[in-house]
Amino acid sequence: MIRYRIVLILFTLVFGVIGLRLFYWQVVKAAQLSELGASQYGNAIKIEPVRGEIETSDGFPIAANKISYLLYADPQEVKNKGEVASYLSQSLDIDEASISAQLSQDLLWVPIAHGVTPDDKSKIEKQNILGVGFTEQSERYYPEASMAANLLGFVGKDENGNSTGYFGLEGYYDRLLKGKEGSAVEIHDAVGRPILARVNNKDSFGQDGSTLVLNINRSFQFLAEQKLKEGIEKYGASGGMIGIMDPHTGAILAMANYPSFDPAKYQDFDQDVFKNTLISDLYEPGSTFKPLVMSAAFNEKLLTPESRCPICIGPVSVGGYDLHTWDDKYFPNSTMLQVIQHSDNTGMVYVAQKLGLDRMLEYLNKYGIGKITGIDLEGETAPEIMSKSDWYSVDLATTGFGQGINVTPIELMTAFASIANGGKMMQPEVASSVKTADGRVTKIQPKELGQPMSETTAKVMTEVLVNAVNKGEASFARLKGYRIAGKTGTASIPVAGHYDPTQTIASFIGFAPADDPKYVMFVILNRPTAAIYGAETAAPIFFNISKDLLTYYGIPPNGDE
Amino acid sequence: MKKPIYLIGALIAIIITLFVAKTFVSNRISTSGVVLGDAQEQIADYKTQNAILRQKIYAQSSLTYISQKATKEGFIENSSTLAVSKGLPLARK
Repeated sequence: MIRYRIVLILFTLVFGVIGLRLFYWQVVKAAQLSELGASQYGNAIKIEPVRGEIETSDGFPIAANKISYLLYADPQEVKNKGEVASYLSQSLDIDEASISAQLSQDLLWVPIAHGVTPDDKSKIEKQNILGVGFTEQSERYYPEASMAANLLGFVGKDENGNSTGYFGLEGYYDRLLKGKEGSAVEIHDAVGRPILARVNNKDSFGQDGSTLVLNINRSFQFLAEQKLKEGIEKYGASGGMIGIMDPHTGAILAMANYPSFDPAKYQDFDQDVFKNTLISDLYEPGSTFKPLVMSAAFNEKLLTPESRCPICIGPVSVGGYDLHTWDDKYFPNSTMLQVIQHSDNTGMVYVAQKLGLDRMLEYLNKYGIGKITGIDLEGETAPEIMSKSDWYSVDLATTGFGQGINVTPIELMTAFASIANGGKMMQPEVASSVKTADGRVTKIQPKELGQPMSETTAKVMTEVLVNAVNKGEASFARLKGYRIAGKTGTASIPVAGHYDPTQTIASFIGFAPADDPKYVMFVILNRPTAAIYGAETAAPIFFNISKDLLTYYGIPPNGDE
Repeated sequence: MKKPIYLIGALIAIIITLFVAKTFVSNRISTSGVVLGDAQEQIADYKTQNAILRQKIYAQSSLTYISQKATKEGFIENSSTLAVSKGLPLARK
């Protein structure tokens, strides 16, 4: 009996051990073994998504992808290292010492050069150098080189070495352009040849990035950049920017910055040039702000273009400060039409005081001043408007002529465009649609931000601005035969509690044709030295570009002077 | 009693057929690896060639390139524009 029991216990123990071992292999180590098994018949392969392209409105890819190669070597296989280093150095224009250093390492794989062109690759391949090979890579390519660089941004690497978009459109639409990485198991035969690729489900394939179609007109962009550069050189400015927008939809047609950079070689540039100054630079706008304040007063029916200015007889004293006109010339009893025509600061003090602080704050809010516009670009900023209790009487007065208040150029252009669009303010949009890799197209619809003024006020203000162009200080530069509405601006630059007496930000904002505007354009020059006034610098650039834009739209002059 | 024998016979026949089919298909698949590998390589090669050609087209149709080439060829910007104004309608003449 005892022997039976011993045998039973032994069997129980043996089965128990087997059971435990089975549990260990089948439950505890199940995942690991399954992976090991899979590795014997297949390899897990990563499917890298192709980054989406960025196209201008004519369908040209302003940001695309190109094939390049990584040149690598197995130092243990390379025979004559000195000769190989010398040949590669000459062929690829790389320092010979750095190639020699790589080849002298006791490793099986060393990278020699990134971004090798297909032509260079085939040239090197013809030499049949033992131990040297290539790996295909995809890298961002900008066919128009530095065109619209500040608008596009660039593609760099994140902390994990993955490609990531920074600044501008590459940054703002990064997730959409990047796509989704996929994975698959490539099944191979006994000698390692691929048979089939297996994916767990459709999503495992990943997804290539979507293509972004822009409102940007490539010709306008090229023209704006060319004229801006010429203008900056001519007027000795430290930099500048031009924005062109369709006032009816908010579509951004061009956005030029100078100085700029080459997005393909972004590492060679200072970080300061990466930002898009139109959306991130704060400045006191000066006289280009006057049309907004005047429109508010017209809209509230406090004034009309024929209303007279009773305080325009000389400098105005407000809160202990004497406020002058830009040229210290005064036009007693001038009308509001003339106040804008002469860009009269004292007249605008009268308008601001007539409007009062409450209404001024209400209209600043309606114009979106102090708020981001929501433009689809990375890096937009917006300065905060002071709370009501912090405003002094002099602040209200100077805001009338655009000093003592900070805006970004895009904020001002968006608000100003409402005058050209019957009082309706549209959100600025750079992208017009998104095309997914499988061909689905999603349109980005124009978005109305509000209506800061009535249609009647917008029409009246347009006439005031046409008069300013035809009879104001920039009239010498105007295009004869066209009705163009616009306003010059010469903004003082605040420096340590006072305004710099020698340097200015010169600008011109306007739209054309005045009766059926096709575009709103804003030209800004930073610190011009040849002349400091907007009328003498920014305005000629505006009209120079306008001449070509109006020809592009097929709008002939009407013959009127 | 005959029916189960037919059934067993049929099952055995199916098993043998499937076994032969499996052997045949496996044999075909295992040798098609080379063809498949070559096809994949060819597709990758064509894709690369297409990408390289596309890049060349983009480079040569960029405004930057065209403008540089135009300047080199001696083209200059025309500063004056001729606008042909519309004539009056016949009824108003």
